[in-house]
Amino acid sequence: MKVLILGATGHVGSRLVQYLNQQGHETIAASRGRLNTNISGHVTLDSLNLEALTHYLKQVDAVVNCVAGDKHSIGEGASILVQAALEAGMPRIIHLSTMSVYGGHEGNITESHAFDPAYGWYAAAKCEAEAHMQQYATSGGQVISLRPGCVHGPGSHLWVSRPANLLKTYRLGDLGDAGDGWSNLVHLDDVVRAIHISLNLPKKAGEALHYNLAAPDSPRWNQYLFDLASGIEVTPIKRISRLQLKLDSKVLSPAIKVAQILCRKLKMNDAWLPEPLPPSLSRLFDQHIFLNAEKFSQEHGFTYMSYSQSMQESIAWYKNI
Amino acid sequence: MINNISTIPSDTLLEADICIIGSGAAGIAVALSLTGRGLNIIVLESGAEGFSKQTQNLYAGELADEKLHSPPDKYRHRRFGGSTAIWGGRCMPFDPIDFEARDYIPQSGWPITYADLAPYFPVANRLLEAGEYVYDANSLFNKPMFQGFTSDVLITNNMERFSCPTNVASRYRQRLALADDIQVILGANCTGIRLNNAADRVDHLDVASLDGKKIMVKAKQVVLATGGIEVARLLLASNDICKPGIGNQQDLVGRYYQCHIAGNLGKLTIFGPTSNVRHGYEVSSEGIYCRRRLSLTAETQKKIKAGNMVARLHFPKIVDPSHKVGVLSGLFLAKNFISYEYGKRLKDGQASVSTYLKHFSNIILDPIDTFRFLYHWLTKRTLAKRKFPSVILNNKSNQFTLEIHSEQYPNPDSRITLIEEHDVLGMPRVKIDWRYLPADIESVRRSLDVFVEEFTKSGIGTFEFDASELEEDLTRFGAYGGHHIGTARMGSNPETSVVDANCKVHHVDNLYIASSAVFPTSGQANPTLTIAALSLRLADHLAQKMQAPSQSKHATI
Repeated sequence: MKVLILGATGHVGSRLVQYLNQQGHETIAASRGRLNTNISGHVTLDSLNLEALTHYLKQVDAVVNCVAGDKHSIGEGASILVQAALEAGMPRIIHLSTMSVYGGHEGNITESHAFDPAYGWYAAAKCEAEAHMQQYATSGGQVISLRPGCVHGPGSHLWVSRPANLLKTYRLGDLGDAGDGWSNLVHLDDVVRAIHISLNLPKKAGEALHYNLAAPDSPRWNQYLFDLASGIEVTPIKRISRLQLKLDSKVLSPAIKVAQILCRKLKMNDAWLPEPLPPSLSRLFDQHIFLNAEKFSQEHGFTYMSYSQSMQESIAWYKNI
Repeated sequence: MINNISTIPSDTLLEADICIIGSGAAGIAVALSLTGRGLNIIVLESGAEGFSKQTQNLYAGELADEKLHSPPDKYRHRRFGGSTAIWGGRCMPFDPIDFEARDYIPQSGWPITYADLAPYFPVANRLLEAGEYVYDANSLFNKPMFQGFTSDVLITNNMERFSCPTNVASRYRQRLALADDIQVILGANCTGIRLNNAADRVDHLDVASLDGKKIMVKAKQVVLATGGIEVARLLLASNDICKPGIGNQQDLVGRYYQCHIAGNLGKLTIFGPTSNVRHGYEVSSEGIYCRRRLSLTAETQKKIKAGNMVARLHFPKIVDPSHKVGVLSGLFLAKNFISYEYGKRLKDGQASVSTYLKHFSNIILDPIDTFRFLYHWLTKRTLAKRKFPSVILNNKSNQFTLEIHSEQYPNPDSRITLIEEHDVLGMPRVKIDWRYLPADIESVRRSLDVFVEEFTKSGIGTFEFDASELEEDLTRFGAYGGHHIGTARMGSNPETSVVDANCKVHHVDNLYIASSAVFPTSGQANPTLTIAALSLRLADHLAQKMQAPSQSKHATI
């Protein structure tokens, strides 16, 4: 099978290309070319360019959409991908969605749960992208949307090095009731394996399948943060109050963000700046969303990597960067 | 779901698999453990979120002797979260010896052992945010309590850990609100446990609000999860079918009321530099404040026939300004601004104007220490979410008093009874007649004699105490506040106990008690952690009885 990977230089995309090649698949690894890459067979492709995208789609059996970026590249990008795929003979689309489509909902969330695009720009863009995928299925295409929780493991800035850096400076720690949400972790390799399984599912035209992805033994955030802190040896951890979290995410972090942007514009090194703690992150720690991912495990006999193993891998990676 | 009785129409009959009365440490532990197991759970809570004077007044009652016990509406709060709203957070488990029948303590012995509770202590510890279940200080901290001290009988590795202190209502509110199998009903006072005519099952519960609304709850299993005083009150007041009160055929309900024997006494002098002593808190990797205590091994307790007891290193008597410590004088002067529960042990008799002046001069002459203390208190306690547990002074002299916390011997004459006066809901109020026995004092004396001997033997210091003042020192402030134990004691023999080993009231098929009321003896430990562990064990028992899964689908605690 020949597979086009959009966003192939990203966190999931780059690991996916490597994995699919090991599994004997032929791949075209495409990205906008903003990130340096040594991926073999990499092509520069703007996924918002309908014509170029159609050209590549004609050469493959399936496409995996790992495009990240701003609202436009996610929402509009999905629309263009669907149009191009329709023109290119309807290859299968594996769409990497996110649990963010469920927005601020709490409780036990299965795939049939309502979306919440009003939650923020990211949720809105990802909901829009899923709507386009639904359209593709309606038009006779095969589409599988995967909605992972927090993709962690080696290489994860968002869920390993970012919280680790924040723990080191005592800006995260034991959050009490503000850290009582479930972490819904899923190891990068599990996401990649799930994509591979999705590529090989028996063909069903006109069907859209949706799967949540999260390891069922993911702890609540407080436990995750403590285990991470222990692993990187920044104990004793501190109890962080809601007030401190609020001040950090609403006052300090926006300032850091502005400084980062300035540095980038002035082509200065911004590595010296502290890690921002965006309000969306502190909101997530507090959100009691249990991403129920039983469906994928049950239908495809899939077992997730254990929490302790994935934590060990994350810590080993962090200690070596 | 969290609801209020005001949203439920009058005379509604609510049905549930399990109804829990009370939402303190016990009730919330049972509810959180049972959620996700396919059962329908109602939690009845008298209070609302936060303190209400009107609701708290339901706790008012009488005292037999004001010097010996605090008023019934102190040290306990009638509100969502119960008394965890005001507790001090001190956690430690009961020791294995506490469960044993000891021939030198009449009526001692539980029908369960430490091993029966052992699986539940770690979860209880997490629930109360006291961290990992490790209570051997030597396995966590390298530094000994006293450099060079060795003894086979007096041990220093016994440890206490501190909860934030966690208010279980605010900490777990969202979990309860989101659980679709739990309905917490606020403002709902259980005013009667109604048995069937055969008196072998609870038929229903009468529930009333302060503004006169009445509803009923019919549940397959009922868990009475109130504090030790209220358990006795509800059982005794529910006397329509069973005249002596539920579970009270043997006249045991409300009797054997125990707190702890506590006092600050003696003089411990350690030789050598002050750095030889660790008298304050250590911090575990989870950020938990931990502290070593002195205690006697189980073998020693048996040998000298003494109850369980611990001692913490403490500072001099606060009232006497001769200590010349600015911080203590500051505390003394501030005592009227500290809540009743925490100020009580600072109010030591009458102080003259000259005493006040001397305290003022202590503060003025010790400004740096006083300032440092205030800064630490402000940042680590007042403003902190995980609070520094207590006042710890700089050790300048290697001289300490010992803060004693000792087991009380069960005494049937120490008791809770109902009085004629009723509250606005028509419930009879309680009278507390707490008593101690000479045996309680003598037990401490025997233990302290061993302390004297062991310190002398060790050569690192000396300990002395005024034997003639011992009783006065241990009873100056009366019963230790907030520990309400023994009023519905657990045992295997229905003739001598109220509940069985599963906390089920003897002869009533579906009535359980989750409370320190069921502790037959008081041990050395503050009760909250053991209350939570016992409640978690009860939850598992109920799930088994109801043929529900042994565990929730995903860990709920």
